[in-house]
Amino acid sequence: MTGEQPTVDLVTAEIIRNGLVAAAQEMNSTLVRTAYNPLLFEVKDFGIAITSARGELWAEDPGQAVFSGCMPATIRNGLVKHGPDGFAEGDVLIVNDPYVSGTHISDTCIYMPVFHRGTLVAFAGVMAHWADVGGRTPGGWDADSTELYQEGKSFTYQRLYRAGVANDDLFDFIAHNVRFGEVVRGDIDAQIAACRQGVTRTRALCDRYGADAVERCMAEVIERTAKAMRRRVAELPDGRYSDSVDLDHDGVDKRTHVHLQVAVTVRGDRISMSFDGSSPMVTGPVNVPEIATRSAACAALKGVFAPLEQTNEGHLAFVDFDIPPGLVCSAARPAPCDSYGYVLVAATEVIQLALVDAVPERTRAGGCQLTGAFIYRPDPRDGTPFIAGEPVAGGHGAHPDADGATMPFFGSGDTQNLPAEVAETRYPLMCVRYAFDPGSAGAGAHRGGFGLLREYEMRGEGIYIKNAQESSHDPLGRGVHGGRSGRPSSLVVRPGTPDEAVTHDRLSAQGPLGPGDVVRLVASGGGGWGDPLDRDPGLVARDVRDEFVTAGQARETYGVVVTGSGGATAPDPAATAALRARLRTAADSDEEG
Amino acid sequence: MSGGRNGENVRRPQSPEGGRLRLAVDVGGTFIDLVMYDEGSGEVTVEKQPSSSADRADDFLAGLERLPERPADIDLLVHGTTVAINAVVQERGAKVGLLTTAGFRDVLAIGRGGRPEIYNFRYLPPEPLVPRYLRREVAERVAVDGSVLVPLDLSGLSDQVDTLLAEGVEAIVISFLHAYANPRHELLAAERVRAHAPHLPVTVSHQVVGEWREYERTSTAVMNGYVQPLFGGYLDTLVDRLRGVGYAEPLAIMQSNGGIAAAGRVSRLPVRTLMSGPAGGVIGAQALSRELGMPDIICADVGGTTYDVALIEGGRIVERSELKVDGRAVLMPSIDIVSIGAGGGSIASVDDLGCIQVGPDSAGADPGPACFGRGGDRPTVTDCHVLLGRLDTERFYGSRMPLDVAAAERAVREHVAGPAGLDPIAAARGVLAIAESNMTHAIRRMTVERGLDPRDFVLLSYGGGGGLFAAGVAGHLGVRRIVVPRGAANFSAWGMLGADYREDRMLTRVHDLDGPAARQLTKDLSALSDEVTATLGDYGFRPGAIDLEFHVDTRYRGQHHAVTVPLDAAWLGDADALVERVRHRFLELHTQLYGHGTADAPVEIVTARTRGYGRVKPVAWARPPAGRSPDPRTTRPVRFAETAETAEAHARTPVYDRDAIAPGRRISGPAVIEEWNNTVIVPPGWTAGADDMGNLELLTEETA
Repeated sequence: MTGEQPTVDLVTAEIIRNGLVAAAQEMNSTLVRTAYNPLLFEVKDFGIAITSARGELWAEDPGQAVFSGCMPATIRNGLVKHGPDGFAEGDVLIVNDPYVSGTHISDTCIYMPVFHRGTLVAFAGVMAHWADVGGRTPGGWDADSTELYQEGKSFTYQRLYRAGVANDDLFDFIAHNVRFGEVVRGDIDAQIAACRQGVTRTRALCDRYGADAVERCMAEVIERTAKAMRRRVAELPDGRYSDSVDLDHDGVDKRTHVHLQVAVTVRGDRISMSFDGSSPMVTGPVNVPEIATRSAACAALKGVFAPLEQTNEGHLAFVDFDIPPGLVCSAARPAPCDSYGYVLVAATEVIQLALVDAVPERTRAGGCQLTGAFIYRPDPRDGTPFIAGEPVAGGHGAHPDADGATMPFFGSGDTQNLPAEVAETRYPLMCVRYAFDPGSAGAGAHRGGFGLLREYEMRGEGIYIKNAQESSHDPLGRGVHGGRSGRPSSLVVRPGTPDEAVTHDRLSAQGPLGPGDVVRLVASGGGGWGDPLDRDPGLVARDVRDEFVTAGQARETYGVVVTGSGGATAPDPAATAALRARLRTAADSDEEG
Repeated sequence: MSGGRNGENVRRPQSPEGGRLRLAVDVGGTFIDLVMYDEGSGEVTVEKQPSSSADRADDFLAGLERLPERPADIDLLVHGTTVAINAVVQERGAKVGLLTTAGFRDVLAIGRGGRPEIYNFRYLPPEPLVPRYLRREVAERVAVDGSVLVPLDLSGLSDQVDTLLAEGVEAIVISFLHAYANPRHELLAAERVRAHAPHLPVTVSHQVVGEWREYERTSTAVMNGYVQPLFGGYLDTLVDRLRGVGYAEPLAIMQSNGGIAAAGRVSRLPVRTLMSGPAGGVIGAQALSRELGMPDIICADVGGTTYDVALIEGGRIVERSELKVDGRAVLMPSIDIVSIGAGGGSIASVDDLGCIQVGPDSAGADPGPACFGRGGDRPTVTDCHVLLGRLDTERFYGSRMPLDVAAAERAVREHVAGPAGLDPIAAARGVLAIAESNMTHAIRRMTVERGLDPRDFVLLSYGGGGGLFAAGVAGHLGVRRIVVPRGAANFSAWGMLGADYREDRMLTRVHDLDGPAARQLTKDLSALSDEVTATLGDYGFRPGAIDLEFHVDTRYRGQHHAVTVPLDAAWLGDADALVERVRHRFLELHTQLYGHGTADAPVEIVTARTRGYGRVKPVAWARPPAGRSPDPRTTRPVRFAETAETAEAHARTPVYDRDAIAPGRRISGPAVIEEWNNTVIVPPGWTAGADDMGNLELLTEETA
């Protein structure tokens, strides 16, 4: 950036920026290694942040993208509640009220002020999904609550430690109000250990460079980041880019659809985001507090414009929001919101889809939504109770120049699936099949990613399955520019038997299942990009060779005639050209007709 | 490798404790380092050979010709090779056919499903090394306890093998579910495959790694099959060519675990060599740790493109049992090495935000840094050192490569100083400061993850740039003592000379830790030890000459991560004592690693591990002749952090010849100490001295 006068020493700024990122990474490593709860060490359902004394994001190392904007907002609301002078060295604060911290009540933020030579200079915090918060449903994720009070105990910036002294009453209260108390206590200790790590490292940077230099350098880095984001925005043609989704029901009122309408407006280097036209707050728990909506929107925009940069306030502050209160994505207390992820993950996909035409080189077709299943045995009379669950990976959309991938939904991060060899050691289940579901992917010049198919056979009595699926009414694995959409998820109980039951319901609970019963979980596929008739015939032949596509589908969907089998599978160029010409003519006349 | 020739080529060493004349040949991307060591005299000869030609064996032989001794007179040749890792990274391996349990052929492609770049909508995971049509399913199923639920369908298997053979596969890999619990189906399948295709190399998953987790085990086995034909072919050729020039002794190959193994064995298990590149230096560091009585060492290898960090804790190399190679999982005991893109060739730039970045892009050896004058025009870390006067532009690399200061300055000015609004000297300083802070974070990552404090460690800094960064990095970490070993630039090859033969075996069996489990664990460890002892015995080691070590991965019931707990052999006799001691040791380690632990929570054991070492006689250096001259050879201006008062002194920074420094003499910084291929910077606030082995030791002034 020639000609720009830096107000700080750029070298020191870079060292401090890297130092804070390293500090956040050390916090992450401490949390993952000390937590008791698989949602933290396996699913990585947590956020990690270091902010300025005013709650501006300096560095983060989250497990999942939704937290990046929620944590600074949480800390800013804490400053509002206690005032800038309301913190003491050695304080540990706890907050999970969705309407001050953004995400559902299970995500509990524990954070500490960082003092340097007696002055508040920063905050270090961890927002982590607890094993339980004492709501109606063990483990949270209430699917049909109608008010926040059913979903768990709310914390609003109480002090777990006051100036280094443990608040035993509060620990006692927690121990008596949550299920799995030992796990929760282990996670609290892990969160505090991670915060202490962040405090120590941040303070060490202040010792070395001066608190003032840290503050000024990060202000400069944030400013440069925001400017760079605006430059990227300015490269887009001015305009209003909008898209929407009509989601399935809210969990309580099964007749309604939840509508989410997104408009991204670009004018010069300004970008603004509106959700006008979205449903008002709903009865069931799929409402989203505005803090989380903003955070998810920023995560989606960062995913489009700067996916690999280390996040700071500059990635959050460059967007103008105009969200009136009272929408499903700007709900107010005490609206229920324990299943907020359903709408939130859809929001990130819709924002991304809204920008497909504006920046094709930075986007992809539609991808999978939040899906998941628990298999569990509640009653000890049937055998040892257990609960097994894993994040489910589905198909992502095709890129303009590549087929889509199979991964966890956007918003989830580096979460790992459960190996069959590990699952079978822990649970009375046998994995029968774990495979790509070839039919799930949307066809296209580049095709969508495959959903995954997992089959478990029950090896005991009294087992139930509860699952959350994505919307089947208006699936989000949308094809673009002529690409076909991916197939939505499904759950099949006892497949291939006379009792087979297939469901696409957003929420279902089935059981009891007994020995020999099989359940099949199928995740959704991603959308294709471009007309399947434009797909490279060599790639179609490869998909036939790999048994992702049959020779018949190759002809009908892609207009490709293949010859040979196995490694010798190849397109027949002449026959393919003739067939494609015929199919294109037919399509044209269909359109005219 | 079935049908290969290496197995037959391996002769039993006549004196397994070590030969009279040893040679280490470390083949890197651009150079082959050769270090020859005479056990009798302690004499060491160092040579270098470009490894540029297409035929690696040719380069190897050309390197041998540079040595003063004939190959026929060498008694032990240790070889470090990157053939396997390159085959994986460049995806130049074999056409592999994979046989899996019915329902699970996609496991290799699905992996564990994560997305490390969490904001990236367009992340694409690595492609599987075996395409789907070559992944074939076989009806069979073993349960978690090893019982057979579905018998192996041998006729279906034969059909699938025929299909793979018709497709022209060059290697076959078999990976069935729970094969670690009961290997029978894999063994039956392997027998059937060999009957169909006696000429093909076959990899059987449980024989490569006896651990659970089907993706990781399959991925490891596939990687082995993928590199085996290329690797085996290379070793066959090499052994042949070596025999042609009169070397008939065994060829020992460096493994990722820091031990060596006979070429014949490694050619069947080349996956064991994947991460062996940086291993030699860590082995050398461990030897030095014993010699110097420094049990806790941070090893920092400063190369051309990377900065590799490893740890020695309590005299032992810190290892890991799992790693990723290009995003693909490998289960294999390996030295735990963190590598970042910050070496001498790392390129400095100003990014989109106007911030200065160093690496990970590298100018490599060709064109190399701008100052090499070989067409490189991007500023590198080395160019910044040149601008600050830290390298002798005339005598660099034994005067074989004069350095072009003007080119370095041009590059720094154009790509960093200009865009960042700095003068070139400030920019060069800044680039080095950023590189140093990145190096510091890599070291902190290694130590903090283990609950260790870097300030309790000695920093051992080696590799071509080892002496340039040592004091800067130590300063950031609060480390007060640095060792830059003699021959720092060839330290990795030197370390290989002292590597022991090593074999690992592991077996997953998940149990609550109690009496019966302890008895089973003792039985399992004993069976694993028999296998280890038999393999090392094949090299000529008598059972008494083999050291065994035992570990068991242990965790609280319900936890995911397990802690690898070292076991004392003496515990294995008494099951009840074993239970208590494992529990106690686990609690200690858990507390060190994680800051907490519970004495009475239920504990599970997961994987039993046995390591066997066939000891090679330690290397004893000849003491260098004591330094002669106490005086600096010359002075030159060197830039350090400075004020107006110090600038004048820095303009006449004394430069010493390393060999001239007498043991016991301490030199105060600022100073530069040079040998032909290595430069050590002693900044103000540090002192340097040589020990009688020729190592340089840097201390902060208050420590000295």
